[in-house]
Amino acid sequence: MRRAAAEIALSAGVLGLGAFAAVVTATLPGEGGYAGFGPNFVPAVVSAGLLATGAWLLWEALAGGWRNRGEPEAGAEHPFHASAFWWITAGLAAHMALIGWAGFVVAGTVLFACVARGFGSARAARDAALGFALSLAVFAFFVKLLNVNLPAGWLQPLLGSAGI
Amino acid sequence: MGETLNALLHGFAVALTPMNLLWGFIGVTVGTAVGVLPGVGPALTVAMLLPLTVKLDPTGALIMFAGIYYGAMFGGSTTTILLNTPGESASIATALEGNKMAKRGRAGPALATAAIGSFVAGTIATALLTLLAPLVVEIALKFGPAEYFALMVFAFTTVAAVLGSSTARGLASLFLGLLFGLVGIDGQTGAPRFAFGVPELLDGIDVVVLAVGLFAVGEALYMAAYTSRLPETMEQLSGSLMMSKEDWKRSWPAWLRATGIGFPFGTIPAGGAEIPTFLSYAVEKKLSKHPEEFGKGAIEGVAGPEAANNASATGVLVPLLTLGIPTSATAAILLGAFQNYGIQPGPLLFQSQADLVWGLIASLYVGNVLLLILNLPLVGIWVKVLQIPRPMLYGGILVFATLGAYSLHQSWVDLVTLYVFGLLGFAMRRFDIPVAPSVIGLILGPIAETQFRRALSISQGDASVFLTQPISAAFLAVTALLVVVPWVLRRRARKLPTESA
Repeated sequence: MRRAAAEIALSAGVLGLGAFAAVVTATLPGEGGYAGFGPNFVPAVVSAGLLATGAWLLWEALAGGWRNRGEPEAGAEHPFHASAFWWITAGLAAHMALIGWAGFVVAGTVLFACVARGFGSARAARDAALGFALSLAVFAFFVKLLNVNLPAGWLQPLLGSAGI
Repeated sequence: MGETLNALLHGFAVALTPMNLLWGFIGVTVGTAVGVLPGVGPALTVAMLLPLTVKLDPTGALIMFAGIYYGAMFGGSTTTILLNTPGESASIATALEGNKMAKRGRAGPALATAAIGSFVAGTIATALLTLLAPLVVEIALKFGPAEYFALMVFAFTTVAAVLGSSTARGLASLFLGLLFGLVGIDGQTGAPRFAFGVPELLDGIDVVVLAVGLFAVGEALYMAAYTSRLPETMEQLSGSLMMSKEDWKRSWPAWLRATGIGFPFGTIPAGGAEIPTFLSYAVEKKLSKHPEEFGKGAIEGVAGPEAANNASATGVLVPLLTLGIPTSATAAILLGAFQNYGIQPGPLLFQSQADLVWGLIASLYVGNVLLLILNLPLVGIWVKVLQIPRPMLYGGILVFATLGAYSLHQSWVDLVTLYVFGLLGFAMRRFDIPVAPSVIGLILGPIAETQFRRALSISQGDASVFLTQPISAAFLAVTALLVVVPWVLRRRARKLPTESA
């Protein structure tokens, strides 16, 4: 039952994305020069494609479920661990928020610790330490060796002016 | 023929310079080390390691990438045999017998036949690539925009609609990828599309962000939510790596047959290595003198699929290098790596940048040798890598995944995009929606659009050009047949029982 609901939701999502793409396409210029087909032609085809496949999937979902769904191997019958899912999401959200001002190393440490927690690790302090060591090593490698700019953030006094 | 040999020798001169040799060496080593990580397939390995090459010259970078590509394939087989968690669908066939062999204490010979088989298949396939590429180039030089467009429609259709378990889901995945490909500035007129005024989106969606989002973030979410609380068993690597005389005798024919199966499948848009590996498994099972061993750890069942996997990975490079058409997700990312350097693979590349192309092809021979020399002696290290606990492993993977996305514009916006693709990857994994059509659609869509509009510019807007040019018409006709024939066959199969009843 839940699977059917999810299939309907995903099909509707494809359909909705197609409708959205069609609306945006309507605002695009159509002047095509010699070709006669402007920048809005392929978007129109793609919108139509999304609408058609979305409708197709929705029909399948309503008429007995999506066809030929292979049983997704490991984990298919296992319960969904919402907390694990949200720990990883939280880690990525914190990383987005932190990387600009707290810097790459701090953001990486938090991300690493949250993901480890999501995978069932109970030793937060050790995870943070490992995450810090890894992020610092990656930072040093990319900034010093490869000259890739990564923000030093809060650790600027420690890491010197190499970062931005 | 002589010309090809000359070009290849010249390529070796490029590939064997100390610096390029070093990049190749680093590539195969890092590629294997990352490819060994459970849950990290070749596509993700290549995507995650792309930032490593930013400061290299194009030739060095692409040689390193070829090494990473081959190394990732190699590393994946070790994981499959010892852990029974295939990192990608192409490894499933290897897992069938490989893991059974490991369970019976024969992990050593299983790893050896996989490694040596990969070398044999990879080397023969590279030789075939060397011979075939100039011929394809000669044909491709006659292609105009209309022919290219028709060829791309053919590739899209086979990858999305003909292969895979469901045409509807394959097409949905393809159109999603095409939609992502539209984001950014229209190459022909400079009009922004689907960017909504966000500067990071004006550059378009980078294939690395899509691939890493789908494969790394999506996989992490999926594994954490569904499998993180499950116990895991790893087979011990005990005893010798040496294959017995009997093992050799049974492996050789399997390697050669599998190369013959894998290479052609790689060269056509057949969705990568999944089909040839299973085909090779079936062939070996049928021809084996010990069919009773299948399911309990038959060495042919490892030797064949592994060789087929590598041969097809090399075959994929034929359309990629000569036509600029990626036929697997990994090839799509490799094409992205080319584009980062402003290089468009295709027949002209063989003329304008012969050094680069032939250096790359020569480095494939070198990479195969390096992998053979490196892998078996270093297997102890790879086993250690396999033992990294899951929480640390995925923590590390995501630190690298976010780095790749962030370093594009130094902006958190790319990280939001990455997470959105992660959610998408999670849903696609959960609901059996193929990922490769999305990745291929993203990178090939804009190229196909350019060719489409170019063809119409030449014909002054006359759309019949695609049907009046013979080559283009032939591609489109084959495409139509590929769609219609299976559909008709299915309908007839459904009708027959009702008629007889």
